[in-house]
Amino acid sequence: MIEVQALRKSFKQIHAVDGVSFKARDGAITGLLGHNGAGKSTSLRILYGLLSADSGSAVIDGVNVMDHPQRAQEIIGVMTDAHGLYPRLTAREHIEYFAQLRKLDKATMHRRTGQLIEQLAMEEIADRRAEGYSQGEKMKVCLARSLIHNPQNIIMDEPTNGLDVMTTRSVRTILQDLKNQNKCILLSSHIMQEISALCDEVIVISEGKVLMQGGLDELLAQTGEKDLEEAFMSITRASK
Amino acid sequence: MSIWLVITRKELIDAIRDRRALLALLLFPVIGPFVIYFMFNTIVDIAEEAKDLTLPISGAVHAPDLVDYLVQSGIKLEHVEIKRTQTLDEKSGTPVAEPPSEVNTFEAVPEPYTYPSNLLAEVRERIEDRTYDFVLVIPNDFSTRLAHSRSVNVELFHESSRATAQAKVGRVQRTISAWNQETASLRLMARGISPTVARPVSIEKIDVASPQARAQRILGMIPFFIIVAAFVCGMGIAVDATAGERERKSLEPLLVNPIERTSIVVGKWMAAATFSGVGLLLVMLLNLLALNQVPLEQLGLSFSISATEIIGIIIITLPLAFFATALQLFVGIFAKSFKDAQAYLSVISMLPMAPLFYNIFNTEDRELWMSLVPMLGQHMLLADVVAGKNPPLFDFAVAAVSVVLFSLMFIYGATLVFKRERIIFS
Repeated sequence: MIEVQALRKSFKQIHAVDGVSFKARDGAITGLLGHNGAGKSTSLRILYGLLSADSGSAVIDGVNVMDHPQRAQEIIGVMTDAHGLYPRLTAREHIEYFAQLRKLDKATMHRRTGQLIEQLAMEEIADRRAEGYSQGEKMKVCLARSLIHNPQNIIMDEPTNGLDVMTTRSVRTILQDLKNQNKCILLSSHIMQEISALCDEVIVISEGKVLMQGGLDELLAQTGEKDLEEAFMSITRASK
Repeated sequence: MSIWLVITRKELIDAIRDRRALLALLLFPVIGPFVIYFMFNTIVDIAEEAKDLTLPISGAVHAPDLVDYLVQSGIKLEHVEIKRTQTLDEKSGTPVAEPPSEVNTFEAVPEPYTYPSNLLAEVRERIEDRTYDFVLVIPNDFSTRLAHSRSVNVELFHESSRATAQAKVGRVQRTISAWNQETASLRLMARGISPTVARPVSIEKIDVASPQARAQRILGMIPFFIIVAAFVCGMGIAVDATAGERERKSLEPLLVNPIERTSIVVGKWMAAATFSGVGLLLVMLLNLLALNQVPLEQLGLSFSISATEIIGIIIITLPLAFFATALQLFVGIFAKSFKDAQAYLSVISMLPMAPLFYNIFNTEDRELWMSLVPMLGQHMLLADVVAGKNPPLFDFAVAAVSVVLFSLMFIYGATLVFKRERIIFS
């Protein structure tokens, strides 16, 4: 479970995150919805310990990220918005590298790697070097290496950005699986379709502030709109 | 397995598969020994050729004394004839009068004979088409003028850009000068004057350098190659592990793992230092092999190196692998792309030149601060060892400790930079 309270972060004069509070529960997919530059990535980066907040708190399964960033990193799996791979390593080597960095023992490493390769249908590229991977193949490797330690909490920054339909679908299936395993999944997106297809909970974020949080139905009911896009537009318009 | 070791292993695998990095590692160490091998061989060849000297000479019949002297000095003569039959005066077009071969009276000795321009052109042509590299031309009034105690011009035509011929020309010149001295002395003695009157000062050069010290000057290049190797061979990994991570956007995913930044930097450092160290050892090994192949004795030089000296050199230079790569990592992190990093690091790779130039122009004795300066200290120690001197153990220790401290400082700096938000996200 991820709980964020009154998070603030400024870069020079810009308040990137300006008092963000939300909750992402276990067994649900929570989506951060907002324009580009609304403060989604900054919030997530604070959560996975690469940015320090100016104030506020972020707690993951009882671990305060500000006080123990490394302990928090141990219990989360992160897919950053940067999807850089090492062109001379194979998919399997990428996954195993992260397994070793997370100190998994050899048996677990091989078992998990095999599982993930099968789950993500990447047998074909498993032992090929990353040079020349398609966007979807890269994404699969990123996803696999962020899940190698079977984390309880999963944070993903724009997980389906730039993916083709097939890959998007397989990512969705995996996320549903994880949800059914009672994991806590927090993802960000600016694509309405994505959010409405995947998320149980939606957090609408704009200019560093949370405008609304609730289930999809609640959002529609509150705004009186028929779909998420209209609801989103009316929420952000109302805030201005 | 420790985290840093995981990272070192990954960086090494990555680098070994990188053809460019591997090429830099394997190619650079080969260059130095080749240069040294060919340099020495050329020097040996030139020295050998000067010993075995054939002098093209024209008009030898006019100067039997000089010719005898040349032959006695071990110079072989090759008689060539420079045609004068069609020597025409340029202005009038009439044949130029040959200088008289017999002059009987002292008063009648004409001014020194000057060669007409077309004769000079012929000589030049022969040298240019490499019929010979140089030629000694003796005028036909040589004996006459000599007999009257006049001075004679003999001409030694040569082409100064032909490096191989210079040693030979030098030897011919020295031999003629010696004969000149001897003849002058004889003339003075014939007039009852001691030859020393005309020679108030005579210089005798005595080279006290031991053969090893003489070798030092040429072998002085080896420390330079070794120090540069430390910089060149680890550079590929250093760039890839810093600016490379940033450029291909793999740094952020790496940093979300619960590991200390220090482990990351140290892991990358050890990988780069491994390449750098291997490069260093390769340079040393290949240089030793090259020196074994060069006929140093023929230059009057001797070079021998014992196992302990080799161990000494390794102890001196290996810390440089860590120093060079620590510096490169520290600088590399500031670069956003490979291109930037390569630009920064090429400048840094010039650093080893500094101690070399300093040591060339430095005439003072070694002082403590010099040992403390990274690379300068190592360079001096290496130069000493190569020259067969045994530097004091204290200097080894000081230089090593200094380099290690500097390296740790750079690594600490790199760790701090790695924590900067601006570095991670841009």
